[in-house]
Amino acid sequence: MSGSARYDAVVIGGGVNGLTCAAKLGKAGVRTVLVEQRDQVGGCAAESEIAPGFRVPTLAHATAPVRRDVVEDLQLYLHGLTFLDSAIDVSSLSPDGRALTLWSNPSRTAEGLGAWSSRDALAWPAFHQTLGRLGGLIGTLFQSAPPSIDTPHARDLFSLMHTLSAFRGLPKADQWRLLRWGPMAVADLVGESVENELLRATVAADGIFGAMLGPWSAGSGLQLLLAAANRSLAWPGGHVVAGGPVVFAQALRRAAERHGVEIRTAAAVTRIEVNDDRAVGVTLAGGEHIQARAVVSGVDPKRTFLSLCEADHLPPEFSWRIKNYRSRGTLAKVNFALSSLPSFAGATREMLAGRVRLAPDLDYLERAFDHAKYGRYSSQPWIEFTVPSLSDPSLAPTGAHVLSAYAQFAPYQLRDTTWDAERDPLGAIVTAMLEQYAPGFSSAIVAREVLTPLDLERGWGLTGGQIFHGELALDQFFAMRPLLGFGDHRTPIRGLFLCSSGSHPGTGLTGGSGANAATVVARELA
Amino acid sequence: MKYDAIIIGGGHNGLTCAAYLARAGRKVLVLERRHVLGGAAVTEEVFPGFKFSVCSYVVSLLRPEIIRELDLPRHGMELLPLDGTMTPMSNGDYLWRVNDHDKTRREIARHSRLDAEAYDEYGKAMVEMGRFAKPIMGMLPPDPTSLDPRGLLELLGMGRRFRDMRFHDKVNQVQLLTMSAVDFLDQWFETDVLKATMSASGIIGTFLGVRSPGTAYVLLHHYMGEIDGAFRSWGLSRGGTGAVSNAIAAAAREFGADIRTEAAVAQILSKNGRATGVALVNGDEIHAKVVVSSVDPNLTFLKFMNERDLPPDFVEGVKRYKYRGSSGKVNLALDGLPNFTCLPGVGPHLRGAISISPSIDYMERAYDDAKYGKFSSRPYMDMVIPSLTDPSLAPPGKHVMSCFVQYAPYHLRDGVWDDRQREAFGDAVINAIAEYAPNIKDNILHRQVLTPLDIEREFGLTEGNIFQGELTLEQLFFLRPVPGYAQYATPIDRLYMCGSATHPGGGIMGAPGRNAATRILKEVSR
Repeated sequence: MSGSARYDAVVIGGGVNGLTCAAKLGKAGVRTVLVEQRDQVGGCAAESEIAPGFRVPTLAHATAPVRRDVVEDLQLYLHGLTFLDSAIDVSSLSPDGRALTLWSNPSRTAEGLGAWSSRDALAWPAFHQTLGRLGGLIGTLFQSAPPSIDTPHARDLFSLMHTLSAFRGLPKADQWRLLRWGPMAVADLVGESVENELLRATVAADGIFGAMLGPWSAGSGLQLLLAAANRSLAWPGGHVVAGGPVVFAQALRRAAERHGVEIRTAAAVTRIEVNDDRAVGVTLAGGEHIQARAVVSGVDPKRTFLSLCEADHLPPEFSWRIKNYRSRGTLAKVNFALSSLPSFAGATREMLAGRVRLAPDLDYLERAFDHAKYGRYSSQPWIEFTVPSLSDPSLAPTGAHVLSAYAQFAPYQLRDTTWDAERDPLGAIVTAMLEQYAPGFSSAIVAREVLTPLDLERGWGLTGGQIFHGELALDQFFAMRPLLGFGDHRTPIRGLFLCSSGSHPGTGLTGGSGANAATVVARELA
Repeated sequence: MKYDAIIIGGGHNGLTCAAYLARAGRKVLVLERRHVLGGAAVTEEVFPGFKFSVCSYVVSLLRPEIIRELDLPRHGMELLPLDGTMTPMSNGDYLWRVNDHDKTRREIARHSRLDAEAYDEYGKAMVEMGRFAKPIMGMLPPDPTSLDPRGLLELLGMGRRFRDMRFHDKVNQVQLLTMSAVDFLDQWFETDVLKATMSASGIIGTFLGVRSPGTAYVLLHHYMGEIDGAFRSWGLSRGGTGAVSNAIAAAAREFGADIRTEAAVAQILSKNGRATGVALVNGDEIHAKVVVSSVDPNLTFLKFMNERDLPPDFVEGVKRYKYRGSSGKVNLALDGLPNFTCLPGVGPHLRGAISISPSIDYMERAYDDAKYGKFSSRPYMDMVIPSLTDPSLAPPGKHVMSCFVQYAPYHLRDGVWDDRQREAFGDAVINAIAEYAPNIKDNILHRQVLTPLDIEREFGLTEGNIFQGELTLEQLFFLRPVPGYAQYATPIDRLYMCGSATHPGGGIMGAPGRNAATRILKEVSR
């Protein structure tokens, strides 16, 4: 039956990883079709018009960043992908109206830190470089699928050996740091390295972004290291995609089509078809069947197995474990259309064009998390926002602007209430926070869009509204992503593969999971 | 006369190390600062007629080989059963788990049939895990950064043992090491109080909450605890935990060891990088071939030695090592037994442990207070009434009750641990008990409140950490206490460590003392 399939592979979901995987399969000569339930591809790399003439990056307002090998393999620069050479990594505003900026150039950061702490000014370059070195090492694990736990393939072991020798190549102090920092609380990690609270919070935020962890939760150090690993693999031309993440998705789409991939939008998959323990295709909402020799799922693992597969095709223990795969979303998105550029005390236009964080200290982050533990959203969330219209004026009418804000913590599971009831109150809290830092902010609001974890699940199919398709925790990482024994993009169903962020390395909008999965799938089909 | 070895500190680990060295024919001297032996495993008549296990109050992980090899029963050690744990609930109900598996199963079934079934599976899985983990406790932690083949072989050996486990045991093993106690238990159970009271064991001696990754593995300890080979049972020691220390001391003396109390060490003597002996507070100098410190690294290296005699990176590691005492102890002399509203009257439930851990939220709220520098207004408590099993501890008809209390942070944000704070803390404890046993207040004859500061001053435990340093992932195994120095040796030739600050850590286990002795005997000839 599989012989008669029109396609070699059908990819479910046109998010960044689905597109990357499809494009790479197409390039490898695999007859591939990609089906996306929404009417445009991109998934979390989306753009929408929230008011006439106002376009915003609907969900993600930054990539994670884009992986160099993805850009090169698919020659995305030929398909409209360009990067802004922004010198700023991230900035933080303090309540007293001052700003702190982390430049991509550490010595420039150190200069600025002098005003906050001479000790940190001295310590920063070393800390920055150490993070870079450790990130670089973890990065070597990101470029291929983890080895199988039971029957490791020589090829996989070779890449492990590569990492091991890289580990031995590190200075001894770094080897120990790596072993300590991963399982550590990110608050301790930054506490060991720098003293200024605003700086600590700015860095620690990377450790808890999108996670159900506070800075004092052990294991939050891992996510900081993963972020560093992403940076080590990034396209050297720059970290910020000109025109926003959606441009990344569009470039991927063009690359995919150029390699002969058929892309169908508004095509929702209702079931993965399995015939004697082998995936043979998918069924669409309309009832149409698409046959293929391989099915590659770009949607999150829980959705893939618990709603697209029939339970009797999966081993009971596997189903039990996938039910326990943690994907508790904690991030909300608030988009603003503004009649004018709000004046944030201490912030330059260059800062506002990049990512700006509002979280004065570690305790602030931890308190924001406390609410989530009891099923409430933070009364004072920590916020990361950007004003993309500064670098791309076409996003808003002349003189007007759009502002895109992440707000955490907003747990998917609320106690004694629903997100439909709390959506606007959350929006009001975020507005009030921004008003604190930019007096007059609210009076400039033309339109506001609030997307809760529930909306992320409904609109984009992210189970639990978890932006990473499953929490990035010590036990859901590398060979354990999504589950130990299934870290190599394979599943209990032959011919069914995972290419979503819920598979290794799964650290956001890099294209990494899709690229790694494509290698595995192409090899399988060859 | 010149000794082969001087042991600093007469706690159970120092005494164990001494006993093994003496048993091998070495001339050993143990120096204890206090007037009694035992360190934190000590029995004292705090109030006339009332004897308390002042700090450590249960025996659980004392290595059976130590009991055997030192013949402790012959030296007066007798372990009495401590059957089960009763957890009062805020709704007037209770959860009472006992050693009898079927009884416990029926009890859990009262709360949830599903959980009763899961409890069997859980128990089996944990025993398997315990089997894997036990050998590690007696192991010299290999150094993963060194190229020394022996260490690498050890690591490979562990790898092989891991590889040979059944698949789902592998999964559990990885999860135990990386997950939070609550997340781990969530996979098995639905009953909140069951998860709360079980996860409590994961936070003891750490500054973490039950939802913080890295707290799951301690769940194992309950299944590794052995009394005369019987899996899982926890026990009391006749005559209090001090009787265990005294039995080890008796064994050591029988092997010819000298033991001095009220002999406080002021300084560790060393000449060009080699330890030569110690100087006492009274000015005496005692020389030996080897000096073994059973006190924590802070005292050993920063108080008894001069930083300048140590490598800077090591000093940095010692200073970075986290203590952060988070618990206190309240010892009550009672006129009569507490009467629990949920289970009135005197019954077997009072002979086991009584845990104040009614819900996961309760545990988290207790932690939240501590995070911001306050003691828990409603703390988690583990209580025992040993006089019910061992009447010799109290006058006829009277009782002693021991309450382990968490959280009580060593560093209070406002103020210090003065008498006022101590009493306020004591009152919070009594009130928390009274919520479930209102008659407690009228039955208190005397109360002894130990804050982390008291524990530091009285027992020489830095920051009052009962395990000589937090048992967190980044301070375990080859990272304990200082990366690169996890094998009981120090940068100073002939100076060793044998306390709970070394692998495998705290509890009345004796393993550090025994492991250190093995290492020392390998290296130091007569």
